[in-house]
Amino acid sequence: MKLSYLMKTTAIALALTATAAQAEVKFGSLYPFSGQLALLGEESARGLELAVEEINAAGGIQGEQITLVRGDAVDNNQAIGEARRLTSLEGVKAIFGTYSSARSIAASQVTELAGIPYFELGAVAEEVTGRGMKYLFRTNPTADDMAKMIIQMVVEKVGPGLGKEPADLKIAIIHEDSSYGTSVAERQNAYAKEAGLSIVTTQAYPAAIVDMSSLVLDLKNREVDIVLQTSYQNDSVLFLQQANEAGYKPSAIIGGGGGYSMQPTADAVGHDVIEGVLDVDFTQYTVNTSYTPGLEQFVEAYQKKYGSAPRSGHSLNNYVGAKVILEALGKASDLEPDTIVDTVKAIDIEAGVTAAGYGFKFGDDNQNERAEMMGMQWQDGKLVTVFPDSAAMTPIKLGE
Amino acid sequence: MNTFLQVLTNGIMLGSLFAIVAVGLTLIFGIVKVVNFAHGEFLMVGMYLTYVLTTWMGIHPFATVILVAPALFLLGAVTQRFLIQPLMSADDDHIQIFATVGLSTALINLALLVFGADIASTPASGLRTPLQLGPVRLLSGQVAILVASIAVVVVLQFFLSRTQTGRAIRAVAQNRAAAQLMGINVNWIYILTFGIGAACVGVASVLIAPLYPTSSGIGTYFVLTAFVVVVLGGLGSIGGAFAGAMIIGLIDSFAGFYIGSDLREVAVFGVFLLILILKPSGLFSSRLNLSHVSP
Amino acid sequence: MTDISSTSPRPQAASNGWMLKAIPLAVILASLLLIPVMVGNQFVYHIFITICIFAALSTAWNIVGGFAGQLSLGHAIFYGIGAYTGVILMNMGISPWIGMFAGAAIAVVAAVIISYPCFRLHGPFFALATIAFLEVFRVLALHWRELTGGATGLMIPLQIGWEWMVFRDRLPQLLIAFGLLLLTLAVAWWIRSHRMGFYLVATRERESAALAAGVGTVRVRLAAVAVSAALTAFVGTFHAMYLTFIEPAAMFSLQMSIQIAMFALIGGLGTVFGPLLGAVLLVPISELARGWLGAHALGLHGFVYGVVLMLVVLFMPNGLMGLISRFTKQRRERGVSAGTIAASAATPTAAPRAPIGADVMRVEHLQKHFGGLHVTNDVGFTLREGEILGLIGPNGAGKTTVFNMISGFLKPDSGSVTVRAADGSWQSPATPGDFATIGVGRTFQIVQPFAAMTVEENIMVGAFHRYSDVEEAREVARETAERMGLAPWLDAEARGLTIGGLKRLEVARVMAMKPRILLLDEVMAGINQTDVRRAIDLMKSIRDSGVSIVAIEHVMQAVMSLSDRVIVLNSGKIIAQGEPREVVRDPVVVEAYLGKEFIDAQA
Repeated sequence: MKLSYLMKTTAIALALTATAAQAEVKFGSLYPFSGQLALLGEESARGLELAVEEINAAGGIQGEQITLVRGDAVDNNQAIGEARRLTSLEGVKAIFGTYSSARSIAASQVTELAGIPYFELGAVAEEVTGRGMKYLFRTNPTADDMAKMIIQMVVEKVGPGLGKEPADLKIAIIHEDSSYGTSVAERQNAYAKEAGLSIVTTQAYPAAIVDMSSLVLDLKNREVDIVLQTSYQNDSVLFLQQANEAGYKPSAIIGGGGGYSMQPTADAVGHDVIEGVLDVDFTQYTVNTSYTPGLEQFVEAYQKKYGSAPRSGHSLNNYVGAKVILEALGKASDLEPDTIVDTVKAIDIEAGVTAAGYGFKFGDDNQNERAEMMGMQWQDGKLVTVFPDSAAMTPIKLGE
Repeated sequence: MNTFLQVLTNGIMLGSLFAIVAVGLTLIFGIVKVVNFAHGEFLMVGMYLTYVLTTWMGIHPFATVILVAPALFLLGAVTQRFLIQPLMSADDDHIQIFATVGLSTALINLALLVFGADIASTPASGLRTPLQLGPVRLLSGQVAILVASIAVVVVLQFFLSRTQTGRAIRAVAQNRAAAQLMGINVNWIYILTFGIGAACVGVASVLIAPLYPTSSGIGTYFVLTAFVVVVLGGLGSIGGAFAGAMIIGLIDSFAGFYIGSDLREVAVFGVFLLILILKPSGLFSSRLNLSHVSP
Repeated sequence: MTDISSTSPRPQAASNGWMLKAIPLAVILASLLLIPVMVGNQFVYHIFITICIFAALSTAWNIVGGFAGQLSLGHAIFYGIGAYTGVILMNMGISPWIGMFAGAAIAVVAAVIISYPCFRLHGPFFALATIAFLEVFRVLALHWRELTGGATGLMIPLQIGWEWMVFRDRLPQLLIAFGLLLLTLAVAWWIRSHRMGFYLVATRERESAALAAGVGTVRVRLAAVAVSAALTAFVGTFHAMYLTFIEPAAMFSLQMSIQIAMFALIGGLGTVFGPLLGAVLLVPISELARGWLGAHALGLHGFVYGVVLMLVVLFMPNGLMGLISRFTKQRRERGVSAGTIAASAATPTAAPRAPIGADVMRVEHLQKHFGGLHVTNDVGFTLREGEILGLIGPNGAGKTTVFNMISGFLKPDSGSVTVRAADGSWQSPATPGDFATIGVGRTFQIVQPFAAMTVEENIMVGAFHRYSDVEEAREVARETAERMGLAPWLDAEARGLTIGGLKRLEVARVMAMKPRILLLDEVMAGINQTDVRRAIDLMKSIRDSGVSIVAIEHVMQAVMSLSDRVIVLNSGKIIAQGEPREVVRDPVVVEAYLGKEFIDAQA
């Protein structure tokens, strides 16, 4: 009895705090803030926070200041719970998130049924937008974009750069076995087949693996020329180190985001070891800024607020996605769900004018069709953009 | 053939890695009869300590053992004294398992709190130098692990069979009540054993830290494998743990190479289940009292 | 922790004790339904649905982890099977209401296959095995992409309606979750208050004593695992429909398995309503804590969670139900102790003794080696109806080994044991269960009470052998207790009895089985003189009711005055048999014994 009383009072207390601050407009910030996904969840959320700060500094949205309410999507049940809390208790007008595809899929099923718009700024699985949802939009490029660009890079740059026919190269796909690695690997296989490339093996492994020597040995024995790895940080470090130590030097290693885009990975494996390794991911920071106007200001604002350089491109992409959406909403008449949907559908931004480079135009499935990844390479301990040519800082360096 | 030798070498190196982690666990599991789910987190704590000491104070990772091993001894002893001992009399050994699960959760998240979710890389300090031995390649740090794991096994065996304290520990393991009657302070023996088990993990962590990136979740991977090794080798059997670790290392390596890296866990756990079901006292059953196994 | 006495309804033990439980329970259950309806908020609905789901999972787990004492940390296997079956079938256009049962059926099969080989393992070994199975299931779910969608997981089509278990409103989902919780609680309560529950707890407490009482220990535990798996799978299917999206990492998760077990632990392991209590308390707390702490710093919430878990285990090892029953028991015991003093053992009324009849058990040429030791060497004897046969011999003569062989606990190397069944046919039972079925009951030299059960419940375990109905069994247990002079302690926990009391309890449990042949292993050792005399009278009265008795006994006074015949065993061989008076005068026996006991008996 006491317990139910406690429950009721807390529920009421929460409801009260929700109504106390009525002067602002609320949006949800739903990311994994605890658990294993927390690092990049937090990094992603920072991008959203910076976007909101900028909008607020410029007078807010429809004359009101934006307040972000955080929700911790540590697991799927939790993602649903937090989505419910944000939509019903906090009364947010829309939710931004989520970094993790699984959390995004789970949480957006809730908001869809509740009729609240949901903006995915960072999750890459195709399934996020492939479900015919009315209120879900995704601003960022997907696993499919990533795989497509990786294969494109092999065909257009790596093959010619090595002086070989792309079809003659032996390619191996290795990936961590969660949704992220698996879906990228599937697309890579599909696009490689389309391009007539030869994939000699596809291997999955658990991300928490402690030893990859057998895998390295297998690739070495097959004399694989190009390794495509989609991985988190731990397994990226392990593979690069163990390949190096086993004396295995493929002509090219192309990472699919994750650990490959992170400075600590380079520091952990050593700058000499990671030199020349390629990577396809969201827009990062060493890029031709004429293609990504506003990037420097973002990095500056980030430095100022968090006291360090951005840890990965997640913050940037979340920032750009959120900013475009919020700016568009600022010009709308109100924040009713259907108004939001109509406003966002009408967004039309060309490539080369946002800080992430890519443009914005939502297709029938509410996916930003203009979103694209970028190709990068580790050169002298820095991740520099090398592909596509319009965004490249320097050309790709291949061979010893 | 060369490939086979390399896979074999990789397996042995992996085995020695598992061995050095599992030796401490077999002491705790076999003698104190506690399933310490926080064992992997002890390793994580040790690795972070090594990381902090090497990066902040600039000492060679191996030199940190003089601080890390005692620190882990303390952690183990405190765990036994204040977490496990009060629960020794509980009707149910379920309770102790949950206590260690709680400890494990707390330690993982404490690491997240202190070090963040990013990986921490202990300087390699020359331990990542590849050595070419005939057809096979391995790292100097891996050789160090192999040598150290053998040394730890020998020292522990000597300690348990030749010293007064060691004999007392074995007496307690065989028959707690009888040992008590003989005037052995069982509680102290448990604290000591837990401490020694944890100190072994301390030794393991200074060896492993320069080779593997440290993260808050590193322990979870090791702990299940370590339990597999301990059960395989027979509870409380130091030599058995070493042999068990080698077997698991080889299975892991060969399954990873010949079956595929996605199913190697199935191979390892499959072997574990077979052993549990067919011969629960382990392949190299010790003479210790297996009070948890019914006849 | 395993205080079951407080949960089974007990008409005699003050109905207010029962009411004391029923009212708060009803309040908790009602508030689970009413609060969200009253508050009407989606998030509150979510929390209450989550409470119902976890309470149901925990209650189902408790049937295995609590009642049967098998610490499963792999219960997510069944949850995952339920979830996957439901979603896969729904994607094929089959309603999850059907999928639920399909999932449960598969879970039951998996549970039986997994558990059967694992039951030899106890405590942490069983736990480790279940973890290993869970890992294997998770990896296989990742691997079989065609079926499970692999790592990317599976989604359900958002078809709304009762037939699809997906709703825009939260109320129907709460109703389903609540219904599942009620179902699980009802099943758990039914099991605990019927024969199966007694058998499970008895098996958990003392497997050998349970075997002797005719409990099919493996069968009953398999049944428990099957029921638990089916219930868990039900909840899994529903939760999948609620989540609308499943993936191997979330469905076959060790974290989740541990959490399920933890709610039961914190609520009170082995109690019917403990898991409910644990979930009701912990789910909201952890949700709120996540809200308050989660945003502050990475890992803070998990850290606090871990610390709280340790503190709970340290300071509340018996869980919330332990606290509650400590409170209620104090009240009850005060009531009991008042009535205790007056009662005493009922003196058996002397009925005319039936004449010794035909053979009921034939033991022939038993041989047994332990390693190099020849512990039983060509032992053979017969037992006749209504006879008391004394089995004596110095320590280590092999008496208990013979007992173990004539009750099915040990398989002889060679030789045979045949027993005449009630219908007059001769049979060769092999297992303890066979012996119990044919009417052979035994006690143990080292008493084997079901410590956590009350005296009445201990005896009921024996009574269930003949009576499957609880009330009948209780009636028989009461009568037997009365006869054994245990009536005043019916509601006391067995662990509180004196050694004499425990010995009588041991006999009472066997007597409640209404055996035709009774094997008594040193029931008089270590009890005082008064109790010995009382025990002798008791055995006579048992004999007079037509039961044949084989008694291992060291108390010579009893042997001499009770036995119709005596067999003397030394070094595994029968060295003499016959009338007690003759046997003790046999020089071979004197030589074998040369013991004080013998001299005493002579005197």
